[in-house]
Amino acid sequence: MDLLSTMNLKLFRCAALVGCALSATNYIAAQTPAQTQAPAPAAAAQAGEPKNISEWLTRMHEASRNRSYIGTFVVSSGGVMSSAKIWHVCDGTQQIERVDTLTGPPRSTFRHNDQVVTFMPEHKLVRAEKRESLGLFPELLKSAGGHIGDFYQARQEGRERVAGVDTDVIALLPKDNMRFGYRVWAEQKKGLVVKLQTLDTDGKVLEQAAFSELQFDVPVKVEKLVQMMNKVDGYRVEKPELVKTTASAEGWALKKPVAGFQPMSCHKRPRAAQPGDAPMQWVFSDGLASVSIFVEPFDAQRHLKESRMAMGATQSLTRRMETWWLTVIGEAPMATLGQFADGLERKK
Amino acid sequence: MKPTTQNPELISALVDGQLAGEDVASVLAACEADAQALASWNSYHLIGDVLRSPGLALHGADPAFVVRLRARLGQEPAPDARSAAAVAVPALPASLPTVQDRPLAGAGREASNDGSFRWKLVAGFVSLAAVVAVAWNAGSGVLSPPAAPQLAGSDASRQVLVMSEQGPVMRDARMQELLAEHKQFGGTSALQMPSGFLRNATFEASQAERR
Repeated sequence: MDLLSTMNLKLFRCAALVGCALSATNYIAAQTPAQTQAPAPAAAAQAGEPKNISEWLTRMHEASRNRSYIGTFVVSSGGVMSSAKIWHVCDGTQQIERVDTLTGPPRSTFRHNDQVVTFMPEHKLVRAEKRESLGLFPELLKSAGGHIGDFYQARQEGRERVAGVDTDVIALLPKDNMRFGYRVWAEQKKGLVVKLQTLDTDGKVLEQAAFSELQFDVPVKVEKLVQMMNKVDGYRVEKPELVKTTASAEGWALKKPVAGFQPMSCHKRPRAAQPGDAPMQWVFSDGLASVSIFVEPFDAQRHLKESRMAMGATQSLTRRMETWWLTVIGEAPMATLGQFADGLERKK
Repeated sequence: MKPTTQNPELISALVDGQLAGEDVASVLAACEADAQALASWNSYHLIGDVLRSPGLALHGADPAFVVRLRARLGQEPAPDARSAAAVAVPALPASLPTVQDRPLAGAGREASNDGSFRWKLVAGFVSLAAVVAVAWNAGSGVLSPPAAPQLAGSDASRQVLVMSEQGPVMRDARMQELLAEHKQFGGTSALQMPSGFLRNATFEASQAERR
């Protein structure tokens, strides 16, 4: 009976979401003239302004470590709108962030450097995890020595006002059709990203994330947020278990590398429900986009049909490979995901 | 013949398909003989229709009656403790919104009784068939869903509806899990720190609803 009422509620909520998405679309339509106007011609590059893609990315990253703000963040992807209230505080050495969803079920996500804690009040559940990928930034730029610059180029497209903030508009354009492009609106003063679009290979917007409202230098203390983050009384704390491994140790390899994408990490997640063969996740990145290959034993009960799906910028592909089932997910064109699936080979 | 005071219960049981043999015959006889019994018969069917689908109820029924019925249903105590869950959020800071009760833009598109949360719960109890049928229809126009055969079995709980530009899509709960894992650990992007994390915390959390 519980299940029935839950399902029914889901349907009602879906209906509500459609309504929400539709009215949001109208809102965007109303805003469109301002957005599609040719941006004011870029002022002649001033001395000290970033010129190449690494300089732009570094500036954006620095801003996220030096700017404190409160804002409302809106993501529109695959026809679905989501929004959240954001608190972001930093004091030079550490940063902490709180994201409270305004759509969907209530969730409070706290991030203290690379520690992430998500509160799910309706289930009285807290998920605590360490996200190493969050600390990867400088390496992503440095290790490849301009690697990102081999596959993307930055082009300043002018200046616009977003959420009451004057911004530079920068297009990060792929040099081949293996990846999506991005358009970034970065605050002029320090470079904070206030709006981000993901563009498909034709330049069409797949997904957009933007602040609708933003206040800088608000009086919120790091300690205050840390205190909230650690207050888990009355909640069950869940820590997902993650076992590091390598693709070759698991018996997998890529016959041919996919242009620009380098392996970043590989791990398994043991599941209580399926002891034995835990699925493997092998993560690749070209610096801006990432692709995960999941491999698990084929199960005729669950793996019924190979599929390809797109939702906003995220694409997915499933495929059977002998006694294995592959799922490739990434913010990259389907053809790129196909290359990953084609290239995977069993070595054991 | 049974005393007329018992008739309403018997008619109700007949509507629900719970009568057999002599009882059926006697109730049918009562309906023939008694205008009151016939009215009860119609009312019970209407009640069933209202519970199954508000849309059905509007055909040929007395709208005032339907409105009163919904109002009464709305006042009934909710049969599921879940309804209380959205209220108490003591451990988190005060500004955490209780989203379930938040009116959404475009709420005008929903049924007029939508403000009553309990009503939805009551409706949820009535018919698995109706829910599955709606979910099925929603999916079938879009994909030839690989998921389809599973719907008939107990695996129905694994299916979720995902909204996309193309409309609702059936998606496997397992796929949702992998998507979340991709976002969490595959978020290796130079844009991750400036905004990728906010994007995922905002968007993926909202999607968790349909997981």
